[in-house]
Amino acid sequence: MPLTKAKRRLEIEGELSITSMMDMMVIILVFLLKSYSTTDISVAASDELALPTSTAEKPPGVAVNLVITKSNIVVDGLEILRLTKVPDEENPGQEILAVPEDEKKGQLITRLYDRLLEKAEDAKQLSELTQNTEHDFKGQMLLQCDKKLPFSVLREVMYTAGQAQFSEFRFVVYKTGD
Amino acid sequence: MAVERRKSFQVTELNLVPVMNLVTILIPFLLMAAEFVHLAVIDSTLPAIGKPEVEELDPNEKPPLVLSVHITDEGLTIAGADHVLNPEGAATEGEEEEADKGPTIPCKVTPCADIDSYDFAELTRLLDLIKDEYPDDENVILVPESRISYELIVKVMDYTREDRETRDKDGEPRLLFPYVVIAGGAQ
Repeated sequence: MPLTKAKRRLEIEGELSITSMMDMMVIILVFLLKSYSTTDISVAASDELALPTSTAEKPPGVAVNLVITKSNIVVDGLEILRLTKVPDEENPGQEILAVPEDEKKGQLITRLYDRLLEKAEDAKQLSELTQNTEHDFKGQMLLQCDKKLPFSVLREVMYTAGQAQFSEFRFVVYKTGD
Repeated sequence: MAVERRKSFQVTELNLVPVMNLVTILIPFLLMAAEFVHLAVIDSTLPAIGKPEVEELDPNEKPPLVLSVHITDEGLTIAGADHVLNPEGAATEGEEEEADKGPTIPCKVTPCADIDSYDFAELTRLLDLIKDEYPDDENVILVPESRISYELIVKVMDYTREDRETRDKDGEPRLLFPYVVIAGGAQ
């Protein structure tokens, strides 16, 4: 049976034109190139960790990464301990985040102290081996904390870090647009 | 002659498939490296431990500035700069008791309901006054209460670091006290 005119036209025009798709891809490519970044740290945003916003503009550098979420404390990707909720003495009926009492000696968080001391020793060894002043141990630490974290927990973490020879803290925040 | 003209106008379609392949490979790679939120850091140090240096003070010279901002659930208290903020001198006994009762900058609602109830505009205004007197000083000590949230501490750091309403001659926000030390705070 011979093909009708319409059917023949359909067969001829059936080829996929990729020009418009190409245009779209190029636009996406330009957008992604613009937002391309090679920062030294990554933030795993979740319900447990919401960083505060700030007008600070200093870019983050490489340092030991300590994350305090709503549920745990993590050093360079390794969970050190879990936080608990204790009744808030000043606001009856409410709870406040705290480090478990059996993890502490006074204000010192023992397991965190051991881990940070290891990190400090590793950094010093690396500095000795490389003989490079760039890798010198400067006691710097990147702190990523959840914005609702009470200062009591932060104080204990900072005190412990101070005892483990970390004295310079860099609080990681989201940069505001203005 | 007619055949030659037809040849010269023959349109050859560009083969875009290899370019397309290249772009398709590039897109997942760039998606992985894309940064949709911008991060920054705020530097801070632990307070130095040791005996304070006792210096003989010349009564004719300006007293040194040891600026600290206490953050409580009632408001913000600026300490160590009374000679700037309260130039009339020490308060009388009755007034002193009155002064001890509340913070320098009380919250708009007491006790402070949330971060927005703190009066940061007033904090910047008072710090501007102190900076006018001490243009070379750059340190501030933050003393938060135990229950103060980290978000509020960061916000106070922002307002003690720079005054975004006032611009210097380069068009940058006026720097106030950019070096922050976080002290132990009230238990």
